[in-house]
Amino acid sequence: MPLDYRRFNGPEDSIPYNYYTKEYLKSYHELHRELIDENGVRKDGRTLDEARSLCMFFARTDMISQAKGSAYIELKKTKVVCSVFDPREIMHQNEFSALGQLFCEVKFAPFSCPRQRRPHAPDAEEKALSVALRKALEPTVCRHLFPNYQLDIFVYILEHDGACLAAAINAAGLALADAAVPMYDIITACSLAVIGDQMFVDPTEAEENLAIMNPEKDGINNGLITMAVMPELRQISDFRQIGSMDVNCIMKATEVLQKECEKILPNIQQILVLNVVNSFEQQKQLEKEAKEREAALNAKMEEWKTLLNAG
Amino acid sequence: MAGLLLSPTEKIYILHGVQDDYRSDGRTNIDYRPMELETDVVSHASGSARLRLANTDILVGVKTEIDVPKPDNPGLGKIDFFVDCSANATPEFEGRGGEQLANNISNMLQRAYNSSQAFDLKQLCILEGKQCWKLYVDILILECGGNLCDAVSLAVKAALFNTRIPFVKAALMDGGSVDFQLSDDPYDCKLLEAGTAPLLVTLCKIGDKCVVDPSAEEESCSVISLIVGITGNPKYYSKDAIETPNFKCKCSTIGMNGPGSVAPETFKNAINQGIIAANSLDEALGRALLRERQECNNFKKNSYGFLK
Amino acid sequence: MNSERVKDIGKICIPGMRLSPSDKEHISGPGTYELKGYIYASLAGILKMEQDESTKATKVSVISSRTPSVLPMTGDIVTAKVTVVNSRQVQCVILCVGPSVLVRPYKGILKKEDIKFTDKDRIDPYKCFRPGDVILARVLPMTEIHWYHLSTAENELGVVIATAEGSPQGVSMLPISWSEMQCPKTLIKEPRKVARVIPENINQSLFPIDNKGEVKENGL
Repeated sequence: MPLDYRRFNGPEDSIPYNYYTKEYLKSYHELHRELIDENGVRKDGRTLDEARSLCMFFARTDMISQAKGSAYIELKKTKVVCSVFDPREIMHQNEFSALGQLFCEVKFAPFSCPRQRRPHAPDAEEKALSVALRKALEPTVCRHLFPNYQLDIFVYILEHDGACLAAAINAAGLALADAAVPMYDIITACSLAVIGDQMFVDPTEAEENLAIMNPEKDGINNGLITMAVMPELRQISDFRQIGSMDVNCIMKATEVLQKECEKILPNIQQILVLNVVNSFEQQKQLEKEAKEREAALNAKMEEWKTLLNAG
Repeated sequence: MAGLLLSPTEKIYILHGVQDDYRSDGRTNIDYRPMELETDVVSHASGSARLRLANTDILVGVKTEIDVPKPDNPGLGKIDFFVDCSANATPEFEGRGGEQLANNISNMLQRAYNSSQAFDLKQLCILEGKQCWKLYVDILILECGGNLCDAVSLAVKAALFNTRIPFVKAALMDGGSVDFQLSDDPYDCKLLEAGTAPLLVTLCKIGDKCVVDPSAEEESCSVISLIVGITGNPKYYSKDAIETPNFKCKCSTIGMNGPGSVAPETFKNAINQGIIAANSLDEALGRALLRERQECNNFKKNSYGFLK
Repeated sequence: MNSERVKDIGKICIPGMRLSPSDKEHISGPGTYELKGYIYASLAGILKMEQDESTKATKVSVISSRTPSVLPMTGDIVTAKVTVVNSRQVQCVILCVGPSVLVRPYKGILKKEDIKFTDKDRIDPYKCFRPGDVILARVLPMTEIHWYHLSTAENELGVVIATAEGSPQGVSMLPISWSEMQCPKTLIKEPRKVARVIPENINQSLFPIDNKGEVKENGL
């Protein structure tokens, strides 16, 4: 991995002290038992099919004033900021492209992950997430409106507690709509962790980690799926699976995810509608003030005219 | 596949063919084009394979080295994939041109081999927590004729099947250092179990249907393709087929490529179709590899190398 | 959300919302797109339906409170500032598209033969533009990657604001003919490709100009 030599990187072979804690040395089964109790309630009090979007969803736009559009999404402990900028020229490009390009960058804050510290230079996971984000957003942006130019979308993950790709896609969709980038549809995304026959909707980091850990029992389904959907057009814009699952499991997961993505939609719609209302009121206020000013100016001019005529 | 221009009528012709499960070159939607495969082509690698699928030419070499296992997985070995898009393939790959494509393919492979049910990394362990084997799988793209992912995954599986790892005796010495004992006999080695290794199948969406192994013309009709990684069945890779357990094949990774999107129904059909295609491909690959090993053992193997 | 606040706004749209069928009576306007016989919204904003007088069709558009991320498109009229003039072409930066101001400036190029409609082979760019001039121009079809090709080969297009050499900053010349401008302070005359344009928002009482017929004609 390329190192950033301008910074002090610390010893290369350092490992987090957590590796030696009791918490870390727990076996697969212990971890599994910890995640979910006999009643099917998860560690943070949710049921298996309950997404954080229903109770803990918090999002806003206009987070960053310098950007054309921006959004912030918080799913309990997963916190993501996204900003979108105006189209700009593509550097070092020498081929004519009728469709505009999206440039996505996903970055973890160095202190965002519970396990290891993130390096400053983009690592493989960040690159893969950036590619996934671009793939998910490409079908939804009207790219023919900015040929030969690129749209910059930056996502910064402040805190990572699972489902960070889904959160990034949701945030980017909101930021794009906020930036008034023409879009074919709103985009929503959701993650799912499969451990055995249990499906954890909107998993936390601990659940994700267990899902991609290699199980001691052979042959059980395990893995992670993230799906991005354009709800109005009923299209899947991205689907990413890792782990090992049989066909039935994937089909079932697809159904579950599709429903979850539809559940997130009202949240996002509400924010956008509220934005329109707010900006409309703001505009009305501004127009009112402008009219007042104009009236004052006209009055002043009349005053001068009478003075001029009198003199 | 730049520079290929198709008229709308030609595209409609291809689309209608795909709808009726009969493609312009006579294949059905799940048929592959003929392939040529040869293993053990590079003498300095532990295992190697060369695959030619239509115009795509892939050379894979596996090198083995000794490494320290990761602290979170002390009992597992390591496997790393590197794809090199040589500028020989197309001038577009010159400099950093092929980097993105190469990253995509190696990422896809890494994800597909991630699960223990796809490739068991326990067999690469030498001494738990201290030493393990690390496999460097280097993939060279010599000629690029489309459908790279599938061809690469086939070649990688063949190369892994062909890989030999020397027997090593390791013992923990005083002070935590590790002592190795390696046999002088180059034939004193074990073969890797690569039966479950996944195959990647690219499904190119044309209309509402998907096709595997698209030709350049078909690729230009499509805006999105699905890549499905399906684990192999070790039954096909063993001489005594009855004794080895019959594994049900599973998906080890799914990804999408291209700027388009896909309807949920098409998506589900495509995955089912991918599994069928992968299964028959896996069976054919296993048979070919076993036959070659048989020939090798009887010293009857004809080596073709690169002259053919 | 209380319904009182929403009442007088009109219909609020968000991307992907189906607005109307796309047929002879309904045309998709800005902020919308057509798909499979329907018109959908592509921006978050307020729905606007307006009747086109000539075709009797309703133009469906969505008005966003923010300036949409616009780029100059073929056929648009843009405001640009001249940066470099040489004997073959004029380089400029595009600042506005129609009424909306761009956030980033984009590079434009005006070839010698696109400056005027007549006498194409006798055009001298030096006698038409000077660096610093603000011009109106039309965007030609895009053929190159990093440049927008522009044209001023219309009476209404050309230099709008220019300062004569040696004049103080902020004193712009006034047009005296279609090919000349004069500085009101120093009375220097300079050749320019002058645009025949009257600004829309000019305060008529301060500048009594008696050519209203032309204003209508030039309505940009």
